[in-house]
Amino acid sequence: MSHHHAVAPKPADDPAFTMPAMLSGLSLPLCVVGLIALVGGTFLGSSAVGGRFGMSAYLTAYMYAMTIAIGAMFFVLIQHLVRAGWSVVVRRVAELIMIMVVPLAVLFIPIGWAVWTGSLYVWTDAAGYQAEHHIPADAWAEKIRWLNPQWFTLRACVYLGVYCLIGCWYYSKSQRQDQTGEVTLTESMQARGGPAIILFALCTSLLAADWVMSLAPMWFSTMFGVYIFAGSILSAHCAIALLSFVLQKQGAMRDEVTIEHYHDLGKLIHGFVCFWAYIAFSQYMLIWYANIPEETVWFFTRYPGFSEDFGPISIALMVLHFGVPFLGIMSRHVRRTPWAVAAWATYILVLHFVDLYWAIMPEATVGSGGAMGVLASVLTVLGMVCLMLGLIVIVGARTRLIPVRDPRLAESLAFENI
Amino acid sequence: MSLAVSNGLDNTVERPGQRAPLVLGNSTFHSITESVCRISENPPSKLWVFSFLVSVHLATMLGLCILYLFYTGVGVWGNRSPVFWGWPIVNFVFWVGIGHAGTLISAILYLFRQEWRTSINRTAEAMTIFAVVCAGTFPGIHVGRAWLAFWLAPYPSLNLWMWPQFRSPLLWDVFAVSTYATVSLLFWYMGMVPDLATFRDRSKNPFRRAVYGVLALGWSGSSRHWMRYEKAYALLAAFAAPLVLSVHTIVSFDFAVSQVPGWHTTIFPPYFVAGAIFSGFAMVITLMVPARKIFSIEKLITIRHLENMCKIILTTGLMVGLAYGTEFFVAWYSQVGEEAFAFVNRAMGPYWWAYWIMISCNVISPNVFWFKKARTTPWIMFVVSIFVNIGMWFERFVITCTSLSRDYLPSAWAYFSPTWVDWAMLIGSFGLFFTLFLLFCRLMPIVNMAETKATLAKEMHMAHQDDTATPI
Amino acid sequence: MSTPKTPPKAVDDDNVVHGVVAEFTDVSSLLAACERVRDAGYTKADAFAPFPVHGIDKALGIKPTVLPWIALAAGGIGTCTALAMQIWMNGIDYQYIISGKPFISLPASIPVAFELTILFASFATFFGMWALNGLPRFSNPIFTSPRFDRATDDTFFLFLDAKDNRFDEAGAKSFLADLGGDFIEVVKEDDSPKSIPKFLLIGLALLISFSLIPALLVARMRVTKSTSPRIHIFPDMDFSPAKDMQQTSTLFADGRAMRPDVPGTVHRGEMIWDLDFQTGIELEKLAQTDAPRVRRLVAMVQSDVEVGGDEQAADAADAGEETSSEPAEEASSDGESDEDANPTALTPAAGPEVDTTPWLSENPLPLTDAVLRRGQTMFGVYCSTCHGMNGNGDGLVNRRAQRILATTWTPPSNLHDETLFEDAYPDGKLFSTISNGIRKMPGYRAQIGAEDRWAIVAYVRALQASQDATLEDVPEAQRATIEKEQTDVKAALEKAAAEAEAKAKESST
Repeated sequence: MSHHHAVAPKPADDPAFTMPAMLSGLSLPLCVVGLIALVGGTFLGSSAVGGRFGMSAYLTAYMYAMTIAIGAMFFVLIQHLVRAGWSVVVRRVAELIMIMVVPLAVLFIPIGWAVWTGSLYVWTDAAGYQAEHHIPADAWAEKIRWLNPQWFTLRACVYLGVYCLIGCWYYSKSQRQDQTGEVTLTESMQARGGPAIILFALCTSLLAADWVMSLAPMWFSTMFGVYIFAGSILSAHCAIALLSFVLQKQGAMRDEVTIEHYHDLGKLIHGFVCFWAYIAFSQYMLIWYANIPEETVWFFTRYPGFSEDFGPISIALMVLHFGVPFLGIMSRHVRRTPWAVAAWATYILVLHFVDLYWAIMPEATVGSGGAMGVLASVLTVLGMVCLMLGLIVIVGARTRLIPVRDPRLAESLAFENI
Repeated sequence: MSLAVSNGLDNTVERPGQRAPLVLGNSTFHSITESVCRISENPPSKLWVFSFLVSVHLATMLGLCILYLFYTGVGVWGNRSPVFWGWPIVNFVFWVGIGHAGTLISAILYLFRQEWRTSINRTAEAMTIFAVVCAGTFPGIHVGRAWLAFWLAPYPSLNLWMWPQFRSPLLWDVFAVSTYATVSLLFWYMGMVPDLATFRDRSKNPFRRAVYGVLALGWSGSSRHWMRYEKAYALLAAFAAPLVLSVHTIVSFDFAVSQVPGWHTTIFPPYFVAGAIFSGFAMVITLMVPARKIFSIEKLITIRHLENMCKIILTTGLMVGLAYGTEFFVAWYSQVGEEAFAFVNRAMGPYWWAYWIMISCNVISPNVFWFKKARTTPWIMFVVSIFVNIGMWFERFVITCTSLSRDYLPSAWAYFSPTWVDWAMLIGSFGLFFTLFLLFCRLMPIVNMAETKATLAKEMHMAHQDDTATPI
Repeated sequence: MSTPKTPPKAVDDDNVVHGVVAEFTDVSSLLAACERVRDAGYTKADAFAPFPVHGIDKALGIKPTVLPWIALAAGGIGTCTALAMQIWMNGIDYQYIISGKPFISLPASIPVAFELTILFASFATFFGMWALNGLPRFSNPIFTSPRFDRATDDTFFLFLDAKDNRFDEAGAKSFLADLGGDFIEVVKEDDSPKSIPKFLLIGLALLISFSLIPALLVARMRVTKSTSPRIHIFPDMDFSPAKDMQQTSTLFADGRAMRPDVPGTVHRGEMIWDLDFQTGIELEKLAQTDAPRVRRLVAMVQSDVEVGGDEQAADAADAGEETSSEPAEEASSDGESDEDANPTALTPAAGPEVDTTPWLSENPLPLTDAVLRRGQTMFGVYCSTCHGMNGNGDGLVNRRAQRILATTWTPPSNLHDETLFEDAYPDGKLFSTISNGIRKMPGYRAQIGAEDRWAIVAYVRALQASQDATLEDVPEAQRATIEKEQTDVKAALEKAAAEAEAKAKESST
């Protein structure tokens, strides 16, 4: 019992807590290249395949960044809510990802524009869609009371407003604690964790329905919000592990984030891989079993027998998004090897994109849009990732990479798995 | 070395950076052994004998009702067309749900390193097993010719030459519930072996020593044994955690794979699991608040334990509320007439009273736990936990009966009313549950002594470290 | 009751020495002592504690267990077992369709596969752990000391095993004393009686024998025969109050147990407004020549529907319509129409005159593969018993009648008779014959739905065509295959004949 000793935290201005110079230097190029690729990918998709395709590619990239950011927000909130000690050393990294909801709120503008110009969601052409799909007039009249540009935009503003509010509040409180070390700040963050999570859950459920599910306006699944959330929380853990690993490689927080923290992140990643599979399977199984046409249509467009492009992705998601990582991260040995955890995190982050691509793109066109379509989709998401990384580095350079005066920092440093 | 940890009994305040103790009142390893073993070694109190007699009578009533049912047929229940799944299924889902908190405490909280589980996990696991016994009774007797219920098992029959139907969620249920009962039993027993060894070693009576000696399997406390034991415990926890989710998920499949409006909705799996945990924790509180008082184990099962459970009840209650809301929203959003009707009918139809009992008990009543006063006052949480139990029973009633009584065929619509046998069986199942639970309290170690001692050792170590670390 | 393995060397007057044990009062002194024991080179030392002591495996140098691998393997076996079981049971051995799902439905197999994975892995973990620990083991020499009872309460023990290479009794004792242990004792062989207490044995034996009684009774019942009737424990389940036809019931206001059709509903395939379809006659045309007959026919079809297939009554109501639709077994009332070589149903009894009925000349059903197969099935069920499987009139009933020389037997028609071909005997007439019967043949209107009767007509036409078809009738594209099959069959026949001949020769020599 006496062989592990309380580790005294380093002083707050230790160079190990600042953004490594190599990464700081990359921030501007990343932002510029990212923005170009993002815009270029969207235009490539719009011109080569079709306007709706380009905007769908943009939406995929946007949802990719957004789900990771709000997943990190959930991580921060839940760690405060349960008064977790182990996670303090990686919490700042999560906060940096979380605060990306602010630039992402700005990046929503193209989607809002697309809603008003009718180049993304099919319900924006209300009369045409109804006529084309022979939807009963009374049902459709009710539907467009929810799905209309004005109300949609207002709701989007509310979601983004809530996210920005929660993100900024928690970020600024955490920053202030870096300066002052006030214990009461932790207490007030804990106390607001509960209400914040309720707001978060409401917004995330509705966001998934609005931004992704309404791409197929007549399709519905009560599980869909949970499905998006499952991917979100999984990829957020991966992003935290990967970013911590990269920062450590560049020389930051080397003594703070230990094998024990990677072990825990690895366990959580493994758990959320299972959770994602559980939600995905339950949703599919229930719809498959009941076999009601208005529900099966969504899976039908992604079915191996129907779609040459998306059918294989459906199969691949089962194997690659669940089977392979499930076995891969099962071993304690792997979880206690930081580079292996980071490698698996990267792998799952790639698969998270495939997951969203599979959820969003089939509603844009019948197929993947050929080589140009795939190129456009990939280019857009790479641009988004570069832009986000650049912004994270810019923000990270203005702060410390660890909540240096958190009252539970010592506990986190001394943390050991059983 | 001083074993004192804390003298006060209020450990609900936890300053960031310090951890509040979980074992209170100058406890020592020996005092933990004493306070737990005493319950079983002393003669039973009058209260125990009285409760036991009442429970046994009610359990007997259940047994007699089952005999009457076998002899007369399932017509003795209120199950009539179109509500063929009446109270038996409601009771089944209710009891299975109760069981979930036990596994959640023993497995999931273990995986999350929530040490406050240590002194309540044993009782919660026992509760799981007894609840699953009650739950298993109902589908068993609902099959009509209950003496042929073994046909559900995939055994090579020389008479039938046929196999069960594996595409039916009801058969998945058979596998899920029996696996759940088995694994819970293994987990519970394995966790109990070191404590049974304590019972054995304290027994003066040779008969008692022999019985506990056999049950303890010759446990000696060897470090090598402990090492494998802890590994096995962690593994079983890792298996039981997804298992517990799967059980209520599969119970939800019973409803959700159908096309009945109000049943077929994809959120059912996580929503049923949240509801199960919700009701299970309520039942743990219902049992623990009196038990800790009667058996004087307040130092081991502290207010902080109860407060944490209240927080979980609040959380899962809100999750259940979110699921109710989602169902309603999507029923409208989908613009499928039958779905929308099913949900409006729940709230405003002939069963409006059941629906609003459910909403007020499940969604509204747990909100008192936003206040710390309510979370730390045993009688308030006891009352709320009873409300939640009632609310969760009504939730299953609302799901089962409102949807079935208003099927696609309006000419078949009917109102379900229970018979006296339905009532007697519901009450009798509580008798069975409490009979088993009271026997457990008398005969088995109701607090996990070994784990509580380990927690105490850790807290002593931390206190010691704090004492020595401050000057440096 | 397992005993310790091969007892070490015995000491003369005393029992075997198993090792030396010392007590410690707290965790930290125990851990410190363990580390020193490990560093001194002991490999078989063990510590005993009332709870798992964090870090003691490292302090004692205990190697990690293989238990996780056992669990993983068992889990994998569980998954495979469950999947194989479900695929075999529902997919291969006992197939039946449930809610339109494929026999092998992977999504529906996942829940059980998951449960069995968990079950197998849990069993492996549970029993594997006890097996690896060598438990249950009820007789352990370390239990001999009464002080050791506190090992499960609040005291910690450090044990140096005599099997250790570094062990010598005096040295171990002083070493433990040096480590700070109290109450150092030598652990000797347990010389208390090892037999199980008698009351336990008797109790166990009684328990086992009582629990065997029901099983033995069942087993005996299964292998013996009894002449007494079986006991009915639940008589109302064995003799359920189900009603037979024409019985009364108090359940309904009209007192009838049989329920009439719901007013305004129509049997499948009995749509009365298509009267041509029901009769096989172009009624519009017939009405111009014989209006009363049309009225009778319409009344017959309508009463048919109202009475719900009560055929005899409908026929009786169909007055003046002299058909030979009486049941065949009676057949006492047949008159001259028996000699009628060219049987025509629904013709007046006046004799063989020219049939002027405007029969439907074409089958109203589309001639698809499904219709023909349906017709084949129904023909096999209803017609082949008399007409034979290929329609040559030599079915099983006919053969038996010939054998017993039944006097009143009228042989069924050979369907390959030219008078029954389409040009001489229109489809509608054939349909009518099937519906109403002819000579000894009863009408099948009650048994076979109209659509199925038309399917039989279609199949009969196919049968007729099959009997004298030539290769030219086969579509061009398939002729090659037919020819090839023909030569194959011929070759096979010749080969078989040759082989049989060779065999016959062989056996004769």
